[in-house]
This record gives sequence, structure tokens and C-alpha cells, in this order.
Amino acid sequence: MSEIQTLDLQTKRNARASTRAASSRLGGGFVYGLILPVAAALLYEAAFRAGLVQARLLPPPSRIAETLWKLAASGELLTHVIATLLRVGLGFGLGAVVGVLLGALTGSSSLARRLLDPTLQALRAIPSLAWVPLFILWLGIFEPSKIALIAVGCFFPVYLGVMGAIANVDRKIVEVGRAFRLSRLMLARRILLPAILPDTIVALRSGLGLGFMFVVAAEIMGASEGLGYLLVDGQQLGKPDQILAAILCFAILGKAADWLILVATRPLLSWQDSFARSG
Amino acid sequence: MLSLAHLDKVYGNGAHALDDVSLDVEAGEIVALVGGSGCGKTTLLRLVSGLEAPTHGTVSVDGEAIAAPHPAVGIVFQEPRLLPWLTVAQNIGFGLDHLPASERRDLVEEALLKVGLAGYGPRWPRELSGGQAQRVSIVRALVTKPKVLLMDEPFSALDALTRATLQDHLLALWEASQPTLLLVTHDVEEAAALADRAVVMQPRPGRIFADIAVPLPRPRDRLSPGFVEAKRAILGALDGSLSQIPGATGGKPAEMSAGSWW
Repeated sequence: MSEIQTLDLQTKRNARASTRAASSRLGGGFVYGLILPVAAALLYEAAFRAGLVQARLLPPPSRIAETLWKLAASGELLTHVIATLLRVGLGFGLGAVVGVLLGALTGSSSLARRLLDPTLQALRAIPSLAWVPLFILWLGIFEPSKIALIAVGCFFPVYLGVMGAIANVDRKIVEVGRAFRLSRLMLARRILLPAILPDTIVALRSGLGLGFMFVVAAEIMGASEGLGYLLVDGQQLGKPDQILAAILCFAILGKAADWLILVATRPLLSWQDSFARSG
Repeated sequence: MLSLAHLDKVYGNGAHALDDVSLDVEAGEIVALVGGSGCGKTTLLRLVSGLEAPTHGTVSVDGEAIAAPHPAVGIVFQEPRLLPWLTVAQNIGFGLDHLPASERRDLVEEALLKVGLAGYGPRWPRELSGGQAQRVSIVRALVTKPKVLLMDEPFSALDALTRATLQDHLLALWEASQPTLLLVTHDVEEAAALADRAVVMQPRPGRIFADIAVPLPRPRDRLSPGFVEAKRAILGALDGSLSQIPGATGGKPAEMSAGSWW
């Protein structure tokens, strides 16, 4: 008994030490990650102030911040951000739901895989932007065509990820479920679902990343609001500070959305060996 | 109690894994299936577990045929096969889903105590050592109180010291409910340490070569002459099973007892 207690204590100590290491690694990583961009911004700002650079095409950080602040203060920025987020949200939601469903279907049934997968793979080979003219003909130039494009972009990584995750579930673990006489439904719920969760989350994250990529494409091709519109507007009116402000917003939104998925799913993945590293 | 009658197993790819294997095991008996690789001992275990169906023949427990996984039969695999997303306690309670939560908790607590892992319930499987994980997987199978417990080389991945400890652990666990125990092993020492009977199998196709009684009292002293004798008997049969020309004996099991085998 005492041996086990000592062991127990030791493990607890180890666990605490590794948590400490992980948190300092995360915090440290955050600070380290900021060093390069902040230093570059300060350097450029200083060079600008010293009159060393012509800032007509590359405005200094202070002017970008000023533009951003003006856009935010007028409420304009919020309108654009909301428009963009709505498009990404709807398109990603649609693409991800269909992707998860079809991926689950082809992953779990070999008949469905043989029937559907070749066609879907062929469709995947088409660059998503090639659909744009067709979507505009079918769905008009307003929101539906944009959301359709984003949905198509988000669909494929999610579909592939979920299908692959199911195919990769360890047969030995499934056998444990069979040995305990789980029904097909319970096998799916108690074994397959938790087993594919990590890969599914990765698939959703890469799908969301593509969602932000395609929202830019959709908005550049014609929109009256959205961060992509700010980009085009900035180009046409010669306002590089506005373009950079919009790019900065994309970076922040994309990172925040990814972080949100990560944080929302963290409690579900605390069992994973590799979680600290992937976070 | 556990009865295997004329089991044949031919896999889809034509591999003939088992040929006319018949074996009767009494209630509470510990039988070790010993044999070289490819002799069909794991296949035999999978047929008894109901995870695979025999090509011919039947498996029955107390007269009831086993065609699919059955509540009377529990299995421990070569690897612990714990579900990594469940805590240790949840893993042990995996087969107790039909019980109310409080009863399940009590059974799991008791099980953890029995394998010396009290307090490990909230841990994740990844935090366990190999020996601890295998102990958890053994009680996961035992906690549902199966009449027959099947074990497929459960200690083969562990170091010798851990293995010997776990063998003692296993006997202590077995003592409590005394299930019929069918244990696949390639470790002659393990067979001699645990089994009432060692059934030696012969490969290509898998057949029973010899059935050796190990009439030693427990606890067994691994240095006693009787133990060494039993080990030598099993080892001798094992050598014999591998040196025979495949197919020449027609798969008739030879009756042998410790000491008079050669």
C-alpha cells in the first residue's frame, strides 16, 4: 500500500511539473511569437519617423492603427467584420455539416464509399474558384453565391478528414466494443465517435481556414461590404493603410476563430497524449 | 463446462488455422494453450470469445452455444486496449453500463482496490505503466463476472519481473470468483506457474498435440522440483510439436502427464 502511495505521490508531482512546463511553454511561446512582428513594426516606425523610408505604398504601423481606429469609431469596421463573419459562418457551417455527414457515410460504409467517393474526389480536383461563374448564374450576385463558394471550399477538407478518421479507427479498439456486445448504435457512440474526434477537429480547423480564404475571394469579386470589400476599395482608391488594416483584421479573426474551436474542444480532448503539443 | 467440439477454422485467404480441435474444460479450471507462432492458439481463443465464427464445429459454455460475444465469456487481449478517452474508472466500468451509477461505482472501486490501483480511478490510461494498464484491462473483463475468462498472451509485452508479479496478481483475482480460465501463452514458465493443464498445440494446421496436467498445489514455488519438472514436460511437448512433420500425426492429441511424457 505504502509503495503505491509513494508511486501516487510521485506521479502527482510529475503531473504538476508537466502542467507547469506546459503553461510556461504556452505563455513563453506567446511572448516569443510577438517579438518578431513587434520589433519589425517598431523598426519600420522608427525608420519612417527618421525620414529614412518613403511611406506612400507601405504606411507605418501608426497610420494603419489610425485608419483602423477611424474605421472602428465610425462603426464601419463592425459592419464589415459582421458581414464577413456571417458569410464565413454560414458557408463553413453548411460545408462542415455536409462534409461530416458524407464523410461519416463513406467512412463507415464501403458501398457508399465506392458509390460516392470517386465522384467527390473528381469534384475536389476542380479548383473551387472555377465554380464562381456558375454559382453567380445560378444563385445571383448577392449572398447565396458567396456562401455556396465558401461552403464548397470548407466541404472537402472536412469530408476527407472525417472519412480518413473513420478509416483509421483502430480495429483493436472496435473489437473491445464488440467483445462487450455493443449494438451498432452504441459502438458508434461509445467507440467510433470519441475515436474520430481529434481528427475531426483538425479537419474542421483546416476547413475553417479555407473558409476565410474563400470569403476573401468571394468579397473581392463583388461585394458592397465585408473586409474583402475594404481590400478592393483600398486598392481602387489608393489607400494601402486600409488594405493593411483589413489584412490585419483577417489575421486576427482567423486566429481567433481557430482559437475558439481549440478552446471549445479542449475539454473533449484532455485525454490525448499529444494535446499539449498540438495546442 | 466450456466445451469445444471439432473446431475447424479456414480463413478467407485459404489459411487453415485450426483443424478438428476438441477440448473440454471444467468449471474453475485454468488451462494454458501453449504453442509456437502460427499454431492457431489465438484463433482458438477468438472462436471461444465469439469474435470470430468457426468454419465447422461448436463452442459451448454450460451447454449454451457461443456464436457471438456472450456475457458469460470475458476476454483480455495481448495489449491492454483501454479506451484512451475514458478514465481508468470508466474503462473498468465499460461493460457495466446496464447497472445504476452507484452500483457501478462500488464495483469499480472494489476492482481498483483488488489490483492495487486504489485512487487511480480518475487517471487517464496514458498515465499508466504497461503493467498497470494490463491490470486495469484484466479487471475490466472480470468486473462483469464472466464464467469463462479468456486471455491472449496478456503479459507477453511486459518485463520478466512485472510479468511474474502480474501472474501472482492474476491468481489472486482468479481465487476470488474462480472463473474458468483459458490462457494463451508462448511462455512455458507462465503455463507452469498458472495452469492446471497445459494444452500444447502444433502448427499448420493448428491442432492439439499434447495435454499435460500440472498437478501442483498453489501457491507454486517456481524453484521446486515439481515446478521444474512441469516446465520441462511442457517444453518437451512443445519441442515435439515443432519437430513433427506437419500433417504426419493426423492431429491426434497424445495423452501425457507430468514426468512421463518422453
